[in-house]
Amino acid sequence: MTLQSQTSELLPGFEHTAFDSNAVFRVLLDALSRPGRIYDLPVSVATPDGLNATTTATLLAMADMDTTIWLSPSCKTKAANDHLKFHCGCPISDDVVMADFAVARMDDDLSFVSRLSVGNAEYPDQSATLILMVDEISNAPAMKLTGPGIKDSHDLEIKNLPASFHVWRAENHHLFPCGVDVIFTSPTQIVALSRTTRIEVI
Amino acid sequence: MYVAVKGGERAINNAHRLLAEQRRGDKKVAEIQTDQIEQQLSLSVTRVMAEGSLYDRDLAALAIKQGRGDLIEAIFLMRAYRTTLPRFAFSKPIKTAEMDVSRRISATFKDLPGGQILGPTFDYTHRLLDFTLMANGEELLDAPSGDQPVDEHMPRVLDDILNDEGLIQDEPVPGDDTAPVADLTREPIKFPAGRDLRLQNLSRGDEGFVLALGYSTQRGYANSHAFVGEIRYGTVSVEIEPEELGFAIDIGDIELTECETVNKFKGSKTKLPQFTRGYGLVFGQNERKAISMALVDRAMRADEMGEQIMGPAQDSEFVMEHSDNVQSTGFVEHIKLPHYVDFQGELELVRRMRTEVEERLAKLEAESAQSQPEAAE
Amino acid sequence: MEQTVNYSADGATAYNFAYLDEQTKRMIRRALLKAVAIPAYQVPFAGREMPMPYGWGTGGVQVTAAVIGPNDTLKVIDQGADDTTNAVSIRQFFAKTANVATTEKTTEASIIQTRHRIPEKELREDQVLVYQVPIPEPLRFLEPRETETRKMHALEEYGLMHVKLYEDIARHGHIATTYAYPVMVDDRYVMDPSPTPKFDNPKMNDMAALQLFGAGREKRIYALPPYTKVKSLDFEDHPFEVQTWKDECGMCGAHDSYLDEVILDDQGNRMFVCSDTDYCTERQEAGHRGPQHHDQPLGNAAREKAAE
Repeated sequence: MTLQSQTSELLPGFEHTAFDSNAVFRVLLDALSRPGRIYDLPVSVATPDGLNATTTATLLAMADMDTTIWLSPSCKTKAANDHLKFHCGCPISDDVVMADFAVARMDDDLSFVSRLSVGNAEYPDQSATLILMVDEISNAPAMKLTGPGIKDSHDLEIKNLPASFHVWRAENHHLFPCGVDVIFTSPTQIVALSRTTRIEVI
Repeated sequence: MYVAVKGGERAINNAHRLLAEQRRGDKKVAEIQTDQIEQQLSLSVTRVMAEGSLYDRDLAALAIKQGRGDLIEAIFLMRAYRTTLPRFAFSKPIKTAEMDVSRRISATFKDLPGGQILGPTFDYTHRLLDFTLMANGEELLDAPSGDQPVDEHMPRVLDDILNDEGLIQDEPVPGDDTAPVADLTREPIKFPAGRDLRLQNLSRGDEGFVLALGYSTQRGYANSHAFVGEIRYGTVSVEIEPEELGFAIDIGDIELTECETVNKFKGSKTKLPQFTRGYGLVFGQNERKAISMALVDRAMRADEMGEQIMGPAQDSEFVMEHSDNVQSTGFVEHIKLPHYVDFQGELELVRRMRTEVEERLAKLEAESAQSQPEAAE
Repeated sequence: MEQTVNYSADGATAYNFAYLDEQTKRMIRRALLKAVAIPAYQVPFAGREMPMPYGWGTGGVQVTAAVIGPNDTLKVIDQGADDTTNAVSIRQFFAKTANVATTEKTTEASIIQTRHRIPEKELREDQVLVYQVPIPEPLRFLEPRETETRKMHALEEYGLMHVKLYEDIARHGHIATTYAYPVMVDDRYVMDPSPTPKFDNPKMNDMAALQLFGAGREKRIYALPPYTKVKSLDFEDHPFEVQTWKDECGMCGAHDSYLDEVILDDQGNRMFVCSDTDYCTERQEAGHRGPQHHDQPLGNAAREKAAE
């Protein structure tokens, strides 16, 4: 059968769907509830070319036939495409405007971010989430974060984060309650910026 | 000494046992079988399927038995089961025009192609209690068969007869029949809601609620007088088209009642007047529900028809938010759950306000006594 | 531990871990992520029909089912008490369908599902508080239409709410709202804190724990991330204040907790006890005594006097 030959090339998804999805979701929930706090990926997953482990786990946990994924050209390998289609059953769109989750590498051309859906005043939840793959996350004082979820303030550093990101993010923050939430994924760690988070670049 | 009430878990378990005992009733009386319910209380069964949104006669019979004949409880059981079922496929639109008809009547024409078929109906029974049923002495009479089979060609009054002359609005709107259909069990309702969502809401809505609203439209709380163009009741087949097959396969038959009403016309000096329509469709034989649904459907099209909203049946948000009897039963009955924490807050406030008023009145009294010493004598 | 749980007598029926199927959980989880990103905004979600009635906590149960994992410890309270029948019933539901540990101790719980109270003990960062919400829309009793209230939130048009509260003051001399007292969250959204007494409102402000709200019948989820500014609406000349009691808890002597009034007889005798049963028990275990505690002389004396 064709299905058989396809699956043999595919990497496995979560080992324990219910538990692994839950563990990854809890990390994402914590990360978005506590912007700037860094969390370790709680499970190990097979990673297709084009994605890293935390991004793969995030999508396995959150995406399905009801969510549209957009992958940047450097992420959109055949392996990534097949992996997500098979395990999540999610539509993968070339139109970034359609994305519920948009995935890119930090060194990609990030100009697409301004086209991400930000929701509308009555339904600000109808917005995209940006998953940005990065090399290294730390609590070095490059940015000072304040806002809901943060007691006093948090320091955060994303290695090599381009200045253009901050320009877009500052504009995005002013759209509240509309806006895009950002999840930074290093190979082993996750940190998030909620649309509410105020960033002061130090 | 005060000892707090404990033992919630044991109380709950014992309450369930008592409930089971009451459900069974007198053990000297034979236990009712679900196939008896399925066969002999068939209108209860179809109501539970309709409002439970799940076509399964055996499960509906079980739910009625388990719910001690409380149909809303049975509907709730069906819904809670339904929600756990995976979806394998979406059916093709059913074709009620090809219904195997058991009953078909039109109020708008004396006779029509395919004929008026009375079928099984309470309509002309005299409502006299039949005591032979109580004595289990029912004589089993097979209903006589007609001289000739029902006409295979049973044109629909609205689409095939009235629409020939363009006298009635087209439905579905041409080009709209392949559009995706909303499903309120899979996504939250947003307003304004499309007609697909409104019809789904009415079809699974509480029969009594839809009936009352339909009735209200006839008494001036809407202005869309209706004629029953046609009611048909019978069975239709349900088809799915698996992607890998590429053609449709029949997966079974369901019983339906469909009602189409012909309503007040619209038009203007320069636009050809046309009758408008309302639509009702419900599992099983339930003309009360199908007609009510058609009346309310038509009333809810007020916006589309540019009509003034004058009654609750025309207010889609009101109708849709209050039609579901599992929701309304839950919320109405939930006020019997403990609310003593909130009540304590109210007690505290009312006592405090009473004290303040008493103090104010006492002060006023003292002042008036001082200023009018003579009057006080 | 298994990801499916058999719980019919013959084991023939298997439901997924925590009852809901994975697709439903993902849908709820996505709504939860939006909810924490937009504090107090009501996210519509495709609420499922649960095997318990609407109004019995189906929203809270769905949120808990989406959040709970095999290593969680669940506490369920209704009116602050672990032993109220509906709290017992919901706790049993998760013990059965998710096979998780349950507790009556606030400090031991990682997830606390509640109806009408916030525990007296300060919650920690590693805890999640899940509220059962009947009517999530704080403006609903001023404007019954969802289409209208949604616009009002979009435009931050909360004048009507202030007018209502001020009318109370004009008529009664007080804001006549004692529970479900509206709050302003992070200076943006007015939120219904669920029908908790206003006594609990200050606890929501700057809370270390994540607070999640589920309304099943109304199909809305909302959230307060930790350390979020939550301010009860009030006026300069009528500042917000919480309930106070002249009495102390008859059992543990607490003066700082929310008290329930218990009617002792038909002669007008009553006493007050903590609504938070765990808080009260813990205080009693630590040796605190109220006047009606059974080992208190005063309690006995009062009893004997009543018996005469």
